[in-house]
Formats: sequence, structure tokens, C-alpha cells
Amino acid sequence: MHRGRWRTLGWALVFLGPSAVPLLLFTAVPMVSSAWVSLHEWNLISDMRWVGLENYRELLTDPATREVFWHTLLFVAGYLPLVYVGGLALAVALNRRMPANAFFRAAYFLPVVTSWVVVALVWKWLLNPSSGLVNHLLGAAGLGQPGWWTDPTWALPSVILASAWKDLGFVMVILLAGLQAIPGDVLEAADVDGATGWKRFWHVTLPLLSPSTFFVVVISLINGFQVFDQVFVMTGGGPAGSSQVVVGQIYDLTFRYGRAGEASALSWLLFAVILLITAVQIRGQRRWVHHA
Amino acid sequence: MNNHRRRLTAVAVAGIASLALGACSQGSATSKDADSADGKTTITYMEFSSNGGHEQDLAAIVDAFEKEHDDIEVKVETTPYDSYFTKLQTALAGGTAGDTFELNYENFVTYAENGSLAELGSYDEAAYKPSLLEAFSRDGAQYALPESFSDVVLFYNKELFDKAGVETPTSDWTWKDEAAAAAKLTDKGAGVWGDYQPVQFFEFYKALAQSGGSFFNEDGTEATFDSPEGVEAAQWLVGKPGKTMPTEAEGAGTPDFDTNLFKDGKLAMWHSGIWMFAGLADVPFEWDIAVEPGNTQQASAMFANGVAVNADSDHQEAAEEWLSFLTSSKAMADTRLSTSWELPPVADESLLAPYLEQDKPANRAAVMESLESVALPPVIARQAEMQDAITKELGEAAAGRKSVEDALADAKKAVDALLD
Amino acid sequence: MRDHARHPVRSVAVLALVVLGAVLMLFPFLWTVITSITPGGSLADGPTLWVEDPTLDAYRSLVDAVPIWRILVNSFAIAVTSTVLQLVTGSMAAYGFARLRFPGRNVVFGLYLATMMVPLQVLVVPLFIEMKTLNLQDTYLGLLAPSFASAFGVFLLKQAVETVPTELDEAATIDGAGHLRIFATIVLPLIRPALATVAVFAFMASWNSFLWPLVVIRSPELMTLPLGLATLQGQFTTEWDVVMAGSVVSIVPIALVYLLAQRHVVAGIAHTGIK
Repeated sequence: MHRGRWRTLGWALVFLGPSAVPLLLFTAVPMVSSAWVSLHEWNLISDMRWVGLENYRELLTDPATREVFWHTLLFVAGYLPLVYVGGLALAVALNRRMPANAFFRAAYFLPVVTSWVVVALVWKWLLNPSSGLVNHLLGAAGLGQPGWWTDPTWALPSVILASAWKDLGFVMVILLAGLQAIPGDVLEAADVDGATGWKRFWHVTLPLLSPSTFFVVVISLINGFQVFDQVFVMTGGGPAGSSQVVVGQIYDLTFRYGRAGEASALSWLLFAVILLITAVQIRGQRRWVHHA
Repeated sequence: MNNHRRRLTAVAVAGIASLALGACSQGSATSKDADSADGKTTITYMEFSSNGGHEQDLAAIVDAFEKEHDDIEVKVETTPYDSYFTKLQTALAGGTAGDTFELNYENFVTYAENGSLAELGSYDEAAYKPSLLEAFSRDGAQYALPESFSDVVLFYNKELFDKAGVETPTSDWTWKDEAAAAAKLTDKGAGVWGDYQPVQFFEFYKALAQSGGSFFNEDGTEATFDSPEGVEAAQWLVGKPGKTMPTEAEGAGTPDFDTNLFKDGKLAMWHSGIWMFAGLADVPFEWDIAVEPGNTQQASAMFANGVAVNADSDHQEAAEEWLSFLTSSKAMADTRLSTSWELPPVADESLLAPYLEQDKPANRAAVMESLESVALPPVIARQAEMQDAITKELGEAAAGRKSVEDALADAKKAVDALLD
Repeated sequence: MRDHARHPVRSVAVLALVVLGAVLMLFPFLWTVITSITPGGSLADGPTLWVEDPTLDAYRSLVDAVPIWRILVNSFAIAVTSTVLQLVTGSMAAYGFARLRFPGRNVVFGLYLATMMVPLQVLVVPLFIEMKTLNLQDTYLGLLAPSFASAFGVFLLKQAVETVPTELDEAATIDGAGHLRIFATIVLPLIRPALATVAVFAFMASWNSFLWPLVVIRSPELMTLPLGLATLQGQFTTEWDVVMAGSVVSIVPIALVYLLAQRHVVAGIAHTGIK
């Protein structure tokens, strides 16, 4: 048995080596460096100054830190359900061998590959409080017309909407691959057993799709907490910091305010949050993720 | 076995591709062979100001320099303004920044105080405008040379003025005259606006100076812009969106919005910088400029770019020679003036004659007149944070979410906290 | 198929929604294309479907403003290399995690995931300093290094490998196949859709990458597309129609890669059905 274990370990090194080495060298090492930086004060252009845990102490007592974490949490909470349900609906609708579907799948994926510069401009136009299409429609339906990206209450929702819209294609692609991996005979067997339509979807399809769902949820959480590009381009964190997120603050601290030490400390606080949430997801998967 | 072959091909492609890319060899900007090859000294120059239309002009200046100094080669690295400082700071952190690099006035202080700039000694003092030289010195030592400067003036659309029967701006105008004209010129129904002035830090400190207020107290330990003069200045800015210019919700503040508004003939008066001249050359209507009206006194905003030698550079002498040429040579002055690429920082104003004689705008004298009473931006070590705080509070006031007094009080609190 | 016959109304409604959705999705791209062929066009003018004097001037300016061919070749070569590397390293790691029961497996996987939890904005400076120490700044290798492996790809592929029944492995083992042969001949072909998906994302990430190339590249010969397009935005003014032309040029190759990859995802159905 011992020899068996060593052999498995040996094989593990062979299979994991090619990825582990680069990840170690080019991600883990900088991560450790940034932890080191977080114990210093540094404006990048002169030498670092040791401050120990001062950065962490300052961040944890600063209400601004709480604010950006709260905004980030709100973003994830709004974004994830929207993008998952939307992506799932799309995947289900397009899970057929119709030739038109290739066109649809391409159409829905196009926003995913479009840069945020373009998407942000489009959405700012759509959500323009006075001349935008959305408020036009809302007004015609007799509903209120929010200020969207010019209003502190609606700036973050604007970013959430644009983000969910843009990433629908991404979730669709993942879930489509998952749906297509479900063996046809399992679905037919369910039909024979009398579980059809919605019942079959809920009790057979979804559970079999759970590995893909798990992937989407974990990745969306990890990426969602690090949201940056769209906030930077759409609102710049405004108005008045009402849509500023953690990584936005990290960027400002590093490259605009010359406080790279604090930025690193903030990123490690973020890391802790993401790690915790991911760990909970992984632990929890035993309960709902179905494995072959 | 088809898949097997396909996979092998993939791996082979990867291998060949990475080899073929000469993966480890460095690009021309960093490779050190250039230096010893022909006995020439190669120096690098990192900059942003030529991006967006003046790359050829800078190349012309470099050529002229290399002709005069055939033992020095200058390699230019241009980065767009928005990403320039990210790149520069990272390069400095890694020790790979160029021998020389460009800075703007607001960032100069931070770099000078941190020892990243070399002290300069071999330049010709008399060639530069004294006020500009001073702007880039610190504690009696010169850490950068002024490279170019520009100021902010009042652009106006002559046709709109004539149509509304309003007299065009003169250098005696004050805010009162500007406001009166703006009211008469604004025609919301026709989509024509009277007066556009951005609501942000750079306009605020200038408006404050125009009202006779001061940003900081004497020893720079406290912010004093929440004075009555400050309130007046903020009110002046904040009162325009919705009345004489579109609101933020209507697009004000987005990139190029004001430029396009003016170019489309929908804007009568526009506070903007002389760097816009080139872009307005093909506009179909007649336009001109005037010195910006003051309130109780005149004050015009001036911006300056400077160039510095990296304290860690191995070629400090050659670097300084390049910078001297870049900032004071006739070749440079001629190039800048003929292409309206900001103004050369030269002391000899007769050199600027060709610039002043050009048309569009006709009243180029206003550019020089504006320099007679200049308001330089207040600069502190934590500059970006201060600018953000002020712009944020002014935005709140402009949107009506805070009163002007409250906004300034909050801004003062934020800025005072940055002064420790 | 049977659902269609039973609920024709629902199918039509679904189709209508899908079409409407597709139009919404295509809308930004169409707007971009239209702006790029509008003389002096700008997104601030609001979207139009009709162009008065369509012109290719913006594209001509694009070619003049940036060395577009060199940039495209660079970006393409880097993206392809990056994609291939991530597919190879990722699929191997996925097999390792899914099939090999080695001690500490879950901890190591957790560490892989952890590499995704620190934002690039924070890693950029230490990574750059590391590259400088290895003398790799301003080189293709330095540019590629952070993308040799991706925990994202490993994760996605691991999920895929886990759906391949182990009975197949066991059957092959009985026939005398070792891990490498099982990996190459049994597992890989069966996870083709996932491989195609990872390929698309890896290509896209590399193609659109901005911050890392910005700091690591100094010489114009190494310039990649996003950097080149950024130079179109001046400090004071921007020619939006040229920027839009650049965006179109940037989107088309990825769209093509996606279409190519999609065929493999669809082709994958044929395989999974046959057991």
C-alpha cells in the first residue's frame, strides 16, 4: 500500500507540475510579496517604510472600508441571481440542435467579448435619466424614473444590470456545456417514469447540472467580489463614492493616492472574505452537488 | 487515434510558438546592446503629451537633437495620459523607469520629495520663464525643467452672440457680465446653452482665486476655501448646470461632451484650455477667445508639464542635455508653435510671435494676457485625494444633494485630514 | 422535441423572447460598427441605424495611427500560445485532481483556487519587480508568464473530468493502460466541450488583457491590441469613430474563435450520447 501511495503522489506531481510551477512562481510569489508590502507604507517611487499591522488597524476602523465592502457585497448579491437565472434560461432555450441556435449563441456571447468601454457607454445611454430608453419606457408605463448612474441610490444597480447583461452569455456557455453532458437516456428514463416538463427540469435536469451550477456560483463569487472594470468605466465609483467597490479602492490607493501598503492590506482583507465564502461553498457542495 | 495526433500537434505548436517568439529577448527599448554597439549613449524618455496627434512633432524634435548631438540617441516611450502614471510608478518601483520622464505640475511635488528626481545643474537659466522654472524647483534646487505650458481661456461662438445681439466678451468682463450674457444666450428650446464650465477641482481653485479667496492658510496647515469667497466661487460653478449648461444627467462631465457641444454650435461660451485650438480649426462658425472674466480680481488657470532626470539614471549628463534641448531649443519652439502643441516655456517672448500671429482664434493675445495673473493649482503630497474630495463635494452640491456651504465644510474636513 | 408539439404557444413565446434578447445583445456591437463608419461619429450622438455617408475613413485612420498589423500579430500569437498552454497545463491538473487520490489533494486544490482571490491590481507591482529580477521585463516570456496556467481553467476542467465515468478508466486499466494513456485517449476526447470553453476564455482573457501588458511592455514591437487602442484616446480629445473602428477590429477575432469553439461544444453532444 505504501508503494501505491508514493506512486500516486508521483503521478500527481507529473500531472499537477506544469500548472503548479507557473502558479507558484507567477502568482503565489507576488501574493506573498504583496503580503509583505501590506506591512509597510509605500508610494511605489521611494523606499518602503515598516509599519507593521498599522495598515490593517487603520482599514478596519475606517468607515470607508466598511462602505466599499458593503457595496461589493450588494453587487454580488444582485449580480449572481440575475446572471445565473438569465443564463440558465438561455441555456435551456438554446439547448437544441437547431441551426439558428448557432447564431443565437453567438449573439448572446458577443457582449462577453466586447470591452467595457463600449458596453459602459451603451448602458449609460440606455440608462440616461432624461433621454434614455429605459426611463422612456418606465415613464410610459407610469412608473418612476430613477436617476440611474447619476443618483447615489441607483448607481450600483446600474452597474449590476449592465454586468449581469454582459455576462449572460458566459453563464449560458458554461451551463450549455453542462446540459449537453447530461446523457439523453437519463432524460428519457425520467419521461418514462412520468416526470416531464417542469418536474423533470427541477428533479432531474437541475441536479445533474449541479456541477456546472457549482462552478458558475463559485467563479461568479470569486470574480464578483473583485469587480472593477465596469465600476471604473461606468461610474468611477461615484456619484460621491456610492458605487465604489473594494478593488476600485485598491486601485486608487495603489496608483493614485500612493498608498500601496494600505492597498495590499485591503486586498488581503478581501482575500479573507473571498476565501471564507468559497470554503463555505466547497463544504456545502456535498449537500447539493450531484457527482457522477 | 485522431485525438492523439491532434493533441501532439497542439503541444508541438505551443512549443514552436514559444520558441519562435524569441521569448526571452527584450525589446528595443530595454536591450542594453544598443549602448556599446556604436559608442553612442542611449537614453530613454517616457512621456504622455505627444499622444493623440503630436507623435510626429516630438519625433521631429528628437531628430533635431540627435543631429546636433551625434553621440546621443533618444528612445521615446509614449503612453496615453490615463495610463501613464500607472506605468511610470510601476516602472519606478521596479527600477526600470526611463532616464528621463515627463511630469505635470500637480505630480511634481510628490516625485521631488521622494528623491526620484536628479538635481539639475547644466541648463541655461536665462532661457526659461522665471515663474515656470520656479514651479519645478524645490528647496532652492531645480528638479525638473518646464517643458510646456497652457492656460485656460474663455472660448466664445461669435455667431451665437451676433444672433442674440449680445456684445462679445472683452478682457474687462467680470462674472456679472458673463452671467448676464449667458442668460440671454441660453435657449433651452433650441438646445443652445450659454456658458459651460466644468464643476471640479481645477475650476474651483481658480474661481476661488478670482474671488480673492485663498485655498490654504499661510503655512499650508489648514484649508481655508470654505470662506465666503469660497462659497461664492462654488456657487458660481454649481449654479450653471441646468441653467446655462446641461446637467450631469444630460451628459455634462462625460469625455468630449463639452467639446462636441461647442463644435456643434450649441454652446455660446466655453471655459477650456488653449490645447483645444488645433481641434477647432475646422469648425464652420466664427469663434474667438477672451481672458477669463474674474470676480473681484482676474486669475487664469495655468497648467505646466515638466521633464526630469531619473535619479537612478546612468546617463545623467546626456539626459540633461536632452532635456535642455527639449525645453529651450529653437527647433522645439518652432515645432510647438507651428502645430499648436502647447506653448514653449521660453523667456524670450519674441519667439512666440509666430504663434500670436496665427488665426483661429484671432485674439491670441488673450493667451499671453491671461498669464499676467495666474492661479497655479494648490499642490500637496496627497494631491489626488484632495482633488477627488473637492470634486466629489462640488458634485453633490451641483446635484442638489447638499447645500454649497455644507459641501465646502465637508470638503474642508476631508482636505484638512490630508494635511498631516 | 415532444415538448414542442405539446406546447406550441410556449415555444413561440420562448422563441420571441430569445430573438428579442439576441437583438438587445447585438445592439451594442451594431452601434459600434455604425459609429465606426459614420464620418466623425461619436457614441454621444445616440444610436442610429442609418448612416448618411458611410465611410471607411476611421479604419484608414486606425491603420495610420497604430501599427495595426504588427499589433494584431502580437496579440494573436500571445493569445494562441497562452490558450494552448492553459489547455495543456489545465487539463493535466484537472485529471490529477479528479482521478488521483493523493494526500492533501483538497488542500492543494484550495490553494489553486486561492490564486484567483487576489486582484491583479495588487499583484501587478510585485510581479513586475519579480520579472525585473529575472530580467524578463519587456519580453514575450515576461508577458506570457502569468498566463501559463489558470486556476479558472483547472477548475472548469476538473468539473468536466468528474463527469466522465470511472468505469471507462477501469476498463482501460484492465487493458494495461497507464495514467497518461487514459488521460490522452479516454478523458480528453470526452471533455471536448469543456476544453473548447476554456480555450475561448483563455483566448479572450489574453486578447483583452490591459494592465499587465501596460506595465511589462516597453518597446513598440511588443505592443498588443488593447495598448494600441488605448493610444487612440488622447488626453483632451478622442476620435471616437477611430476608437470604435478599433473596437470592431478587436471583437471580430474573438467572435470567430468563439464560433470555431462552439462547433466543438456542439460536436461534443454526439460523443456523450454514445456510451
